[in-house]
Amino acid sequence: MKKINVVESVLKANDALANENRRRMDAAGVLAVNIMSAPGSGKTMLLEKTIPLLGPEQRCAVLVGDLQTTRDAERLGGCAAEITQINTGRGCHLSAPQVSAGLATLDLNDISFLFIENVGNMVCPAAHDLGEHLRAVLLSVPEGDDKVAKYPTLFQPADVILLTKVDLIGVVDFQFEKVYEDLSRINTRAPLIELSPKTGQGMDRWLAWLRQQRRGQTGS
Amino acid sequence: MHEMSIAADMMDQLLRIADEQHAVRIVEVEVICGEMQQVVPEALQLAFEAVTVDTPAAGATLKLSEERMVANCRSCGQRFEPAIDDFLCPHCSAADAELIAGQDIVLKSVVCEIEDEAAKT
Repeated sequence: MKKINVVESVLKANDALANENRRRMDAAGVLAVNIMSAPGSGKTMLLEKTIPLLGPEQRCAVLVGDLQTTRDAERLGGCAAEITQINTGRGCHLSAPQVSAGLATLDLNDISFLFIENVGNMVCPAAHDLGEHLRAVLLSVPEGDDKVAKYPTLFQPADVILLTKVDLIGVVDFQFEKVYEDLSRINTRAPLIELSPKTGQGMDRWLAWLRQQRRGQTGS
Repeated sequence: MHEMSIAADMMDQLLRIADEQHAVRIVEVEVICGEMQQVVPEALQLAFEAVTVDTPAAGATLKLSEERMVANCRSCGQRFEPAIDDFLCPHCSAADAELIAGQDIVLKSVVCEIEDEAAKT
């Protein structure tokens, strides 16, 4: 018998490709935002409203991750953006190799923002670097006000947290204070933006945040 | 929940190591899971058993241990050990932790039977 000391990250292959993805996007001047949440939090709706509001000068592309179907890509087809659907089959999250394959379908030199709509899941996507620059995490009002405390590994590394479907406040029981209180122990760095893509409430803050990040990347 | 993809990535590493070492059988695999990964040991064990079927690692013992998180506070620069439900810096009370340990999954060691040994027995 022989004991071999390895000490090698199991995520090494994923992380190496994630870094390569980031380098490719840096070289092309693309800002990549990994959008994560539970299924049904409004990731696709957010993008449907965000992309037209960013204006034609900001070229957008979307990589859409789902286990099955091209429905989200079809919904986003009306936006002025390149859309690539990635079906993960049984995979509960996107991985860096899948994003690498998705990037190969896009003309990166023609893109300002790349939105990566991850598979709807509050656990697994958080553990996998895709090569994104920023992580946006959505929490919708109907999911309940206890989710930050229940899924800290998703919210802790978030760069921005979007509290979506705020137009449903009053229809469902939801206490903002609980979310703020939980975030005060988990993540005080990320701005929390209350919004409703459906009514437009709060979208100005989200767009301003995106444009600020873009200016930070391009230095302009 | 992501234990199956972790096990699949481990299997790729194990097959490469088996090939490099001319191992005919892998009998023990030691893995350290960072606390932030929230790996469920029973789920990883099941996934490991599933991906090792009909491979040199079939029947191998999987030894799992957990690594605590260590973070640097981005606000004040102090190092501290957060808990999974509490990332508050004990020095400045900001929840702005940059993890420097406890977020990876590391294949620490592999015990294997190599070709020559197998020929002797």
